Amino acid sequence: MAEEQNLAAGLEGKLNPGHRQDRCLHILVQTPRGLWSLTDPENAPRRPVYALNSKIQQIINDVREVFGFVENGNQYVLLHGDERLQPERTIESYHLDDGTLLILSVQGGNAV
Amino acid sequence: MSVPAEVSLEAVRQDLAEVSPFMIAASLSFDAGDLSAKNLKIQVTFRNRAGERFFAEFDCSEYPLFPPTIEFTDAARQARGQLRFYPNVFHTTPCVCARYNRKAYGELGGPHNEWRLIDWRLPTDGGGPITTLGLMISDLHSKILGASGRMG
Repeated sequence: MAEEQNLAAGLEGKLNPGHRQDRCLHILVQTPRGLWSLTDPENAPRRPVYALNSKIQQIINDVREVFGFVENGNQYVLLHGDERLQPERTIESYHLDDGTLLILSVQGGNAV
Repeated sequence: MSVPAEVSLEAVRQDLAEVSPFMIAASLSFDAGDLSAKNLKIQVTFRNRAGERFFAEFDCSEYPLFPPTIEFTDAARQARGQLRFYPNVFHTTPCVCARYNRKAYGELGGPHNEWRLIDWRLPTDGGGPITTLGLMISDLHSKILGASGRMG
């Protein structure tokens, strides 16, 4: 975790040079295919560090790219505990703490 | 056409290794302690937002050539397939009506005569493909969270 915090501080500085560091947040996202963090997966093209005014939908888009959730038609939802985060809302509106663990839920169809 | 039990066992182990952290993060309990080539069953306990628990059993015989048979049971894993064991978000057969559930196929007594087992990785109506145990567990987790109670 100390390594993650150091990395987060470094990434925040790069994302927002000269700005207050509390304007960015790093999160963890657990998916059915693995954890997205500042260190995992090793070859991830991006890391989960976001400006507080970023939309939840941006996180969903990014984590889908990182883990290759290319299947269209499924619903991709971020959960904080049991709460569904609305994609159009901002990270800031949920008052998430730095290092919060979110869950990417993948939901398929339901035949009748 | 069949799958040697050792092949299914390895496939199940690989899928479980990938999805175990997800189940822990989502507060799903699972039991694969008796998993072996002779017993390809795993159990996962889901819950809805009210905290009601639902006990699912995945029989992974012939997986991944064919999908698992998913059935809801009582807490003791003795009785199975009754309406009262099912969350009220699935088909009232009762059955998880998705291509990834072998019980849904007509050839096994399920409601879908138009589906072929070999095509189980195709999308179910209203969704995309669900092709691993991890995605099945995520799908069930998401749907059961929204259940308001039991079928019966």
